[in-house]
Amino acid sequence: MDVRQRAVGWSLWLAAGLVAVITVSAGIGPVSIHPTAVLKVLLNAVSVPVGIEQTALSTARTLQLPDPGLRWRSPFTYSVDSTHRVIVMRVRLPRILLAAAVGFGLAAAGTVMQGFFRNPMADPSIIGVSSGAAAGAVAFLVVPMAIPFGFGLRGAAFAGALLAAFGVYAIATAGGRTPVATLLLAGVAIQAFLGAMIAFLQLHSGDGLRQVVHWLMGHLGNASWDDVTITLVLVPLLFGILLTYARDLNVLLLGEEAAHGLGVEVERTKRILLAVSAVLTATVVAVSGVIGFVGLIVPHMVRLVVGPDHRVLLPTSALAGASFLVLTDTIARAGTTEIPVGIVTAALGAPFFLYLLRSQEVHEL
Amino acid sequence: MSESTVLAVDDLSVDLGGTEILSDVSLTAAAGELVGLIGPNGAGKTTLLRAIRGSVQPTTGTVTVDGQPVADLSARQTGRLVATVPQETRLSFSFSVQQAVTMGRNPHIGRFGTADDTDRKHVEKAIEHTSLSAFTDRPVTELSGGERQRVLLARALAQDTPLLLLDEPTANLDINHAINTLDLVRSVVDDGTAAVAAIHDLNLAARYCDRLVLVASGSVLASGAPETVLTRETLREAFDARTVVSEDPTTDSPRVTALSEQRPVDDGQSVDYGHIDDDSHLDDDS
Repeated sequence: MDVRQRAVGWSLWLAAGLVAVITVSAGIGPVSIHPTAVLKVLLNAVSVPVGIEQTALSTARTLQLPDPGLRWRSPFTYSVDSTHRVIVMRVRLPRILLAAAVGFGLAAAGTVMQGFFRNPMADPSIIGVSSGAAAGAVAFLVVPMAIPFGFGLRGAAFAGALLAAFGVYAIATAGGRTPVATLLLAGVAIQAFLGAMIAFLQLHSGDGLRQVVHWLMGHLGNASWDDVTITLVLVPLLFGILLTYARDLNVLLLGEEAAHGLGVEVERTKRILLAVSAVLTATVVAVSGVIGFVGLIVPHMVRLVVGPDHRVLLPTSALAGASFLVLTDTIARAGTTEIPVGIVTAALGAPFFLYLLRSQEVHEL
Repeated sequence: MSESTVLAVDDLSVDLGGTEILSDVSLTAAAGELVGLIGPNGAGKTTLLRAIRGSVQPTTGTVTVDGQPVADLSARQTGRLVATVPQETRLSFSFSVQQAVTMGRNPHIGRFGTADDTDRKHVEKAIEHTSLSAFTDRPVTELSGGERQRVLLARALAQDTPLLLLDEPTANLDINHAINTLDLVRSVVDDGTAAVAAIHDLNLAARYCDRLVLVASGSVLASGAPETVLTRETLREAFDARTVVSEDPTTDSPRVTALSEQRPVDDGQSVDYGHIDDDSHLDDDS
C-alpha cells in the first residue's frame, strides 16, 4: 500500500480513538457525566464560519483564534444540562485538550529524537530541554528576582529550555559539524549540571518547595484557555515542519555518510530537526512541567505496530501520545486526591518499557 | 578527456585533521568502465571515494562528474550523479527490502513529494536486477550478509546515476557471494555506467576491472590495465610484500600470490617467480 495511504489510514483511526478518549475523559470526575451528554456539549460548542460580517463578535466558546470578522454559527443545538456544560467546557476540557497537545508534542519530539540519535533511549529531554525548563521554572519560583522582569513562570521555563538546548548545541558544534555522539554527551553533562542547580535551589526554596516539587513532577491542572490556545496553535505548526522532514529522518537512520550520498544536506537537516524539536518540547514543557516517559515509550509502542517509516510513525506516534497523556491524566485526577501526571506516566510507562525490553523488540531500533 | 568520460579527478589533495591523506591524485572513469582502486590498508582509498562524492572537501584539485564540479553541487544534485555502495551500512531498523531500495530514489523526490511511477519503475528494475524479487517485503534485518549487500547495490542502482562508487563491496562476503556481487556490478557497468570500486582482493580486482589504480600513502603509484599495474616491483613498493604474479589459467587475468617472509617457497631468492606458470605450492589463493 502507498505510504501516504497508510499514514492517513492509521492517523484517522488514531484520531477517532483520541476523540473517543477525550469524550470519555470529560465525563470522568467528581461529577460523572454520561459520554453521550459530553458529546452533545462538545457538539454544541462547534461553530463553523458561515459568512463575513462587519461587527464581528465571536460566539465561539472554545478557541478564540484571531478573528478576521467571520460570522459563526453552531450547527448543533442540543439541549444540555447547564451544569454539565460548565463542568465540561470550563473545568475539564481545557485540561484535557492541554493534555492532548502536550502528549502529542512530547511523542512527536521523542520520535524525532530517537531517529535523530539512532538511539532507543533518546527522548525529548535528551538535549537538555526539560532540565533547562525545570531550572528556569524553579529559579522563578525560588528566586523570582533572578529572572528578568516580565517573564512569568511559563516564560521562565520556556526561556530556560531553549537556553539549555542552544547551549548543548553550541558546545557540541565545531567547525560547522555537530557529531551526534558529542551532542548526546553534552546533553547528559548539561542535564547533570542543571540537576545540581535545581537541587540546590530546592534546598533553599523554603515555603515554595511544595510548588517546586509539584512543577517538577508535571501537572496539567492549572490549564486556562489561554494556555490551551497557545499550545494548540504552536504544537501542530511545529509538528507540521517536522513532518516535512520525515523522509530525511528515514534516510538519516542509515548513517550520516549514507544520508549525504542519498541527497540529504546532513548538517542543515540536523540543525532544523534539533531546533524545531527543542522549541516543540519547550512549548509543552513550559505549560505542563516535566512529564517523563511519554516521549520515550509511545514512539516505541507505535513503532512495533506501524514499523520504522517516519512518514507513518511520526503522525501516529503523536496521536497515540495525545491519547496516552489524556488517559494517564484522567487517572491522575480521578482519585480523591490528585496525583501529578508525571508520576502516573512513569508508573505505568516504566513497567511497560521493561516488558518491551524483555521481549527484545526495542533492540531493533 | 574523451566524450564518454564520466568521472574526472584532477590533482586532488585532501587534508583530514591536519594530516595529508591524499596528494595530487588524478584518475578518470568512462561510461562502461570499471576502475578498481587497490592499495594497502590506510592508503586513502576510502577517503578518495568520499572526496569523489563530496563528503570531504579537497584542499586542492577538482572532482567533476558528468562535467559538473562536485564541490559546487548540493547533496541532492550530487545524489543524482553519484551512488555509493558502502562496505556495510546501518540497516538495523527493520525497513523492508522494498523500503530500503526506495530510499535510493530520495535525491529524485522533492520535500513534499512521494515516489511516483518513474521512481517505482527504477526500484522495481533494481530489485529485479539484483534478484531480490522474492524478498521485497522481508525486513532487511532478517537477511543474510550477501542478501544485505545486494540490497545496498539495489539501492544504488535505483538511484540511477551515471557514476557508481563501491567501497570494498566484497569484503564481508564469502567467495560465492563475492563473485555474484562483482558479476552484477560488471553487468551494470556493461550497460553504460561508470564505476570506481575499492577492492581488497587483488585477484578479484584484476579479474573484473578494466583498469586498476594502485594507491599507496595517498598517491597514485601506478594505473592502467591490470597486468601493467600488478607487477612484483609495484606491489613490493605499495604493500611492502614479496609476491609472485602469474597468469591465472582459468580466467587469464593476472594472479597475485603473496609470499611469506618467514617461510620461503623453495629457495625463494634465486627463482624468477614471474615466469612460474602453475605450481602446486601457489595454487590455493583466491
